[in-house]
Amino acid sequence: MTELLIRNACVIDPINGIRGETMDILIRDARIVESVSGRAEVIDAAGCLTLPGGIDSHTHICGTKVNFGRYMMPEDMRAGRTARQGGMHATSGYSVPTTFGNSYRYSAMGYTTVLEGAMAPLEARHTHEEFSATPLQDTMANTLFDGNWAVMEAVKENDVKRAAAIVGWTLSAVKGFAIKLTNPGGTEAWGWGKNVECIHDPVPHFEVSPIEIVTALVRANELLHLPHSVHLHCNRLGVPGNAWCTVDTFRHIPDLNPERQSLYATHVQFHAYGGSSWKDICSRADLVARAVNDRPQIVMDMGQVMFGKTTTMTADGPMEFNLYRLHHNKWSNHDVELETGSGIIPVYYSRKSTVNCVMWAVGLELALLTRSPWQCLLATDNPNGAPFVKYPEIIGLLMSRKYRDAELATLHPEAERRIALPAIDRELDWNEIAVMTRAGQAKALGLLPLGKGHLGPGAAADLAIYPVRIGEIDPSAEYRRVIEGFRQTLYTVKRGRVVSREGRVVVEGDNSTIWVKPRISEEYDMGRDPEFAKKFARYYTVRMGNYPVQEAYIRRSICIETEAEL
Amino acid sequence: MRVLLVAKPRKKPNIPIEAERILPRTFLEGDEFTVFEGNKERRLTDLFSVSIEGEARDVSEVEVILRGDVSRVKRIGEYMDGGCILIEGSVGMHCGNFMSGGTIEIGGNADHWLARELQGGTVICHGDAAHYLASGYRGEKHGMRGGTVIVHGNAGDFAAEYLAGGSVTIHGSAGDMAGVEMKGGELVIGGDCYRPCGNMTGGTCTVHGTAHNLLPTFRKIRTAPLTAGGPPYAVFEGDIANRGKGTLFIRNYRYMD
Repeated sequence: MTELLIRNACVIDPINGIRGETMDILIRDARIVESVSGRAEVIDAAGCLTLPGGIDSHTHICGTKVNFGRYMMPEDMRAGRTARQGGMHATSGYSVPTTFGNSYRYSAMGYTTVLEGAMAPLEARHTHEEFSATPLQDTMANTLFDGNWAVMEAVKENDVKRAAAIVGWTLSAVKGFAIKLTNPGGTEAWGWGKNVECIHDPVPHFEVSPIEIVTALVRANELLHLPHSVHLHCNRLGVPGNAWCTVDTFRHIPDLNPERQSLYATHVQFHAYGGSSWKDICSRADLVARAVNDRPQIVMDMGQVMFGKTTTMTADGPMEFNLYRLHHNKWSNHDVELETGSGIIPVYYSRKSTVNCVMWAVGLELALLTRSPWQCLLATDNPNGAPFVKYPEIIGLLMSRKYRDAELATLHPEAERRIALPAIDRELDWNEIAVMTRAGQAKALGLLPLGKGHLGPGAAADLAIYPVRIGEIDPSAEYRRVIEGFRQTLYTVKRGRVVSREGRVVVEGDNSTIWVKPRISEEYDMGRDPEFAKKFARYYTVRMGNYPVQEAYIRRSICIETEAEL
Repeated sequence: MRVLLVAKPRKKPNIPIEAERILPRTFLEGDEFTVFEGNKERRLTDLFSVSIEGEARDVSEVEVILRGDVSRVKRIGEYMDGGCILIEGSVGMHCGNFMSGGTIEIGGNADHWLARELQGGTVICHGDAAHYLASGYRGEKHGMRGGTVIVHGNAGDFAAEYLAGGSVTIHGSAGDMAGVEMKGGELVIGGDCYRPCGNMTGGTCTVHGTAHNLLPTFRKIRTAPLTAGGPPYAVFEGDIANRGKGTLFIRNYRYMD
């Protein structure tokens, strides 16, 4: 039995309605409890800001795509190197660091749970192997279904139950967590050198439209009772004028679940542009934010862009090809046979580029114009918008108008006419930041039943103590202190143990992987479906028996079993 | 100021020394610094007998002379910004990395990555240079951006890869893939080379000998002498596979079979 007593913590816990109360937190065996014995180890938090462990609901840190980014970018590997220190491995890389680099840097910032944004089912084994080398965070993987042939055939036949059965079988086979749709239909069209324009374009051969795929899977998701909703990367990413496409998608989403959203729209910053070309691109964050304000069934994340060097990587192959034509730098493209694709290129977001300045402003506008912080979460689509180490700066920007004005003064002068940011006065408070970085994520991902995202009795003992005294700082004026405070925790506690102290990782770590297993009736068990098996044998390069990821690949397994209505 | 470093005999002479601090600027502060021999940190004076004569007001007055076997000493002159280094024998890998000013002269041969990503200054090698002479390191888009590199002997493969500015002259022959991914600057090869300048987008390359296995993605524009009355050179433009605007002058060429 291990016990820990954290004294004088200044707690913000939005789920339990605690807003900056000084209190003690008691922990026994990885859970928060109401009393501990006198033998508990004591940490004096001395009035420092204490939050539930950070949760990143959309990041790319593990898997074949990320690893290919590492191969492709030896110069990035030289950009951020740290030597071995005590129990810490040597790390390298800035935008696509080694797995330990990711894990240590997240932990130093107080993050204890992360969701890999896109895992191709066929390549799941690799993702899980990298998860096991990301020791300080609990991990989950969104599983890609955007170009899945079997799903598209079921959608074409209007058979939502069969689509759900295929998703359910695949998720349990590859130990995935949720349904991810990346440019639905577009990645399949890309196999033919094409793309889909927006949500009503037919996918070649399958003759289904992206919105049919999305709505069918939103319904299938609820049939399976999955903890998270469908996780969508909309069509038309990064194209001027795509805001209407995004809003049109939102309009088609039914409100099916009272507990959480029915659709999680990711990195919406890349999907909220007005204009008709790169010459007249402008922000239409207002349009998208209004659509979200009117619809409780939608939750989004910012996908904030920050200036500097990074790597973009996504399953959206055609979009990456367009980026390659813009930059003429190295480019990787990858097709995952019956499932999806991907592309990777390095980018540099510059203050001298009007387009990049607009992108930077759009993310912030989304967060500031969305009324409820529970509906717009903080993320950069790491590393696409910026490496996650920039989160503290984003918090600073959201909390301080003064900081935003200082940054706006350094942008390309042309940008100011195309954005709404200079007119927005809103400054977020500590509670809203806590929602956008942990509580909101826990709710949107459906992790509250696991005790994530809050600090009430029974919650998982994941928490972060920052060297910030909220009573003594005026975040609006002293934004530098806010940024410094969020950069590094005094203590990061994971499963009741101190894992990181002032940026130094003190334990080897032992993460869990959370995955779902919907219980499906025999009639809908795809493992026994002759039609599914026949097509699998015919079209896949692997056998059905070799396809599932064995549990041996998962270090500590947390399986969420659900009762599917099938 | 004249700094003479004489390499002491070592028990295991094959263990490389990482000597990124051997450059004129460091000696303005004296010789109390360390370098790594393998994974062991050593004082400079453990590995070299050091004698310093005279005074220097700034870096341009410092001359560093390396004597003895320094063929396993890497990164000499890294980030050098002035003064002079004279290496009497052969030198190890990465000599003159990122150098921006001053002169490095090598009496013998240079190992791989000589003058990698050079920004300015002059590097002269009297012997042969190994692979990746004056090129960009793994993943870099721009290699050498300025300065002058002269090799009196031959060069290995990938000479002047990613060259973006400055001039590289190889009096002997170059190996495979000289000047690939060139974006600017000037490359001159006195002898032969293989498959030069693939993916080139800018700059000029002159081959006074024979270019073997010339890529088919270069368009021949004309044949003309380089200087009035001189022998004829074929002039190519390319690499057209990359919509490149580079120019190749070649005395003799043979296409890939």
